[in-house]
Amino acid sequence: MKAGDEVPALERTIGAADMIAYAGATWDWHRLHHDDAYLRARGLDRPVVDGQLFGALLAEQVQDWLGPDARLRRLRFRLLSMVFAGESVRVTGVVTGVVTGVEGSLVTVEQKVLVAGRVAAGGTAQAVLP
Amino acid sequence: MNLPAEEIRALVGREVAYTAPEPLGRAALRYFALAVGDDNPLYTDAGHARAHGYRDVVAPPTLICETNQYAGLPMDADGYAGHSWHIDVPGARLVRGGNDYTFHQPVHPDDVITATWRIESAEEKAGKLFVTSRATYTNQRGELLAVNEETLIYVEIP
Repeated sequence: MKAGDEVPALERTIGAADMIAYAGATWDWHRLHHDDAYLRARGLDRPVVDGQLFGALLAEQVQDWLGPDARLRRLRFRLLSMVFAGESVRVTGVVTGVVTGVEGSLVTVEQKVLVAGRVAAGGTAQAVLP
Repeated sequence: MNLPAEEIRALVGREVAYTAPEPLGRAALRYFALAVGDDNPLYTDAGHARAHGYRDVVAPPTLICETNQYAGLPMDADGYAGHSWHIDVPGARLVRGGNDYTFHQPVHPDDVITATWRIESAEEKAGKLFVTSRATYTNQRGELLAVNEETLIYVEIP
């Protein structure tokens, strides 16, 4: 593993049922994620996916790739554009650093959440692999 | 920015703590993983988790930073039932600047979580108000589980 290596992409289509499930699991029932009248009043024609879901996908991509012995230490991310119900996202990642220390290798991955030609989120994950 | 400088300064140091009324529970882990579509058995299979150095199943990493379930707050008019500072900046809209999660220890189903939110800084730059908060998540033994730093940006509506 070295800087420049690509992490296998993670792809997910986020449908209405997935959004309802995430709202339930996180106790977040904000109308932005499900209420048509609320959305129309704000010029939006479809429910907006909860941006925190992308944090979960960024974590999943790195954990899946490094395996069950790796521990995620840090995850920074910014939401750059809205994603709407029914859209498909592709999470990409590139290794930007591998530093060997007493605990093992600290791996840094730069990640993006892409959807229909736009960047929905960008982030950096760091995990330790013993 | 339609908020006086002294009101902006007074935001810094505001703190509020929420303690969950019960342990996180195995169902919360399994529900979150299912909702995300993450089938990693570390979250559902205790034998698998133990084989990889954990004492029990662990929570998907971002679960602890993203739930409203500790807060015990009523649902507001927008359907939101989580922590908010209720900062009212007239003529401005709120934009989320991003999150920075640091994971200190794995989170297990028997953890009773306390989330302590504190405003670390509030400053006006180029006509925008940046408010940075930090949530510190601990368990019933006072062990530090995770830290979540988030920035809220209030932008004037032209």
